[in-house]
Amino acid sequence: MNAVFRIRQTWIIARLLLRRVFLFRRSSWVYLLAMFPAVVFLAHGIQMKIQNQWTPSRVTPSALLESIREGAREDEVIEKAGIPIKDRSFQSKQKKQLRNMEYFDGERWWFLSFRDGILQYKHNQKLVDFTKDRLAFAGMFQFYYLRLAIFFGCLGIFANLFRGEMLDKTLHFWFLAPARREVLLAGKYLASVIAALLVFTVGAVLGFAMMLWPHHAAQVTAYWQDQGLSHLFSYISAAALGCMGYGSIFLAFGLLFRNPIFPSIVILFWENINGVLPTWLQKLSVLHYAQSLCPVPVPTNDSMPVLIRLLISPADPPSTFTAIFGFIILTALVLWVTSRIVRRLEINYNTE
Amino acid sequence: MTVPEILFHDVSKFYGEVLGVNKVELRILPGITSLVGPNGSGKTTLMNLLTGLIHPDRGTIMVRGLSPRDPERLMRITGYATQYDTAPRGTTGFDFVSTGLIVAGNTKKQAADLAWKALEHIGMTEAAHRKVASYSKGMRQRVRLAQAIAGDPDVLVLDEPLNGLDPLIRAETVALFQDFAAQGRHVILSSHVLQEVDIISDRVIFISNGMIVAEGEIRGVREEIHEHPSQYMIRCRDASRVASLLFGQDHITEVKLHDDRLGLLVMTRDRVAFSRALTGIALDGHTIESVMAVDANVDALYKYLIGGSE
Repeated sequence: MNAVFRIRQTWIIARLLLRRVFLFRRSSWVYLLAMFPAVVFLAHGIQMKIQNQWTPSRVTPSALLESIREGAREDEVIEKAGIPIKDRSFQSKQKKQLRNMEYFDGERWWFLSFRDGILQYKHNQKLVDFTKDRLAFAGMFQFYYLRLAIFFGCLGIFANLFRGEMLDKTLHFWFLAPARREVLLAGKYLASVIAALLVFTVGAVLGFAMMLWPHHAAQVTAYWQDQGLSHLFSYISAAALGCMGYGSIFLAFGLLFRNPIFPSIVILFWENINGVLPTWLQKLSVLHYAQSLCPVPVPTNDSMPVLIRLLISPADPPSTFTAIFGFIILTALVLWVTSRIVRRLEINYNTE
Repeated sequence: MTVPEILFHDVSKFYGEVLGVNKVELRILPGITSLVGPNGSGKTTLMNLLTGLIHPDRGTIMVRGLSPRDPERLMRITGYATQYDTAPRGTTGFDFVSTGLIVAGNTKKQAADLAWKALEHIGMTEAAHRKVASYSKGMRQRVRLAQAIAGDPDVLVLDEPLNGLDPLIRAETVALFQDFAAQGRHVILSSHVLQEVDIISDRVIFISNGMIVAEGEIRGVREEIHEHPSQYMIRCRDASRVASLLFGQDHITEVKLHDDRLGLLVMTRDRVAFSRALTGIALDGHTIESVMAVDANVDALYKYLIGGSE
């Protein structure tokens, strides 16, 4: 029984468990978490496709629309830009006469709002805005995917590896197998990492694909040839390392605590205040490393509160190498500590 | 050549402040050894300690030269049918039996062959591909048994293995245990059915409140109990005369004549003197048809050592 045999045993255990991890009915909510961005971008894409199909044939030159200034009168605007595509008048509660006009310049919709016949507000919106969608995906990935979906998904998968079997009174089945406890731990961890990686990287790839889908083929090809592939790879890497990092922590929590939810909430809080912590403390966070692998910075603007801006941007993002190395060290350390706990673990279902 | 043995040396186990077992000293030789004791006496704790599911707070355990803290090697020679009747979600009976065999390094084909053989042995092939969760209590018991024997272990540990089995399977299972024991292996079991323990066991370990009360061969254990007179049932034609002859002996404490006047129940404090007296009576021409020790069985020993009946 040498190292090669133990590695084989680890893989055998992982393979035996994989099917169960995937088909476990209680983990269906993890799939929902992972697929949420893809669903959102799919809906957005469908909406854009429908909008494109209903593009009006009447086009007003953008230069003409840009030349219209706030303060202009209704009749001046109509005289300059012609009859609007959409025109809606109504009265406010303060008895003010309000009117909204919409024009289309071939790429963007222009919205003009009048009060008592005077133009108060003018803005435009691109029919299909690739840059905006990429930023939206970056925001979705960092705000939702890393911080919530992967976090809670891994909590559901990994914290139950041993705790779930304790509650189901089935852990003895594995403890009676002719394998070292460390091998059992590694096999269970491997099965869960593979499952989490598949679910969350496929979720990220699908979300990314759905984000690209409604855009013009030439625009997508240009992006793909320039940065697209490396961006996708970075998102996949960030998701994968997030799964490994959170996975090892929640595996340990499942062994250390009878109810791993409470310490997990502390970790969630810690991860989310990471941006305002001193630099050395920031390094003790999964999000710190995972976030630094994200290719597009989270869109922030001056209208955002300072605290929010601080929270979402790490003060000192590590290099890709440091991030990956940091993850490996963190994961190895947690797994080592966990293996010590598993060695001493006893079957005592009555106390669960 | 040294005999393979299972050793418990000064083993204690506490669950918090609750005593599991205390200062257990045991040397278990190959053969069928039964653990006998009331509920909560520590039988399952001993079995769990032996198989490494729990660890002693004090003392050491060796199973045929292996530590229970080394499951990689121990579980290759040990099969344990636990009292827990749950299986991982979605597991079929066949998976339940074959998984351990695959983990042990058998190929899928080898594991499948061994699993089928074990399932055949306990008559579970028809339901093998059904989920364990859908099994009845008896079927779960049998599939646990199949899992325990599938790897052809040298040490078979069985927690209440005969519960829920129908009489035919029960008889086959007992024969299987005896077959294992005849091959120089260890079969350690706990059972509430004392008559069964009596028939199949080579040795008995009486346990109460986490302490070993007595252990050894049933007859040997009986001989160690001096505070209770030994009871014998004698069948003979002139029972009244034999009774009067015996009653004259110092070591005889009680003689009861059977209603049919062809038998008598004798209680004696000295088995050797009783044997000598009975020989003398027979030599005097009284026909003794049979002599049977009434209380040299597990049931009686249980009453003497632990009190009450199971």
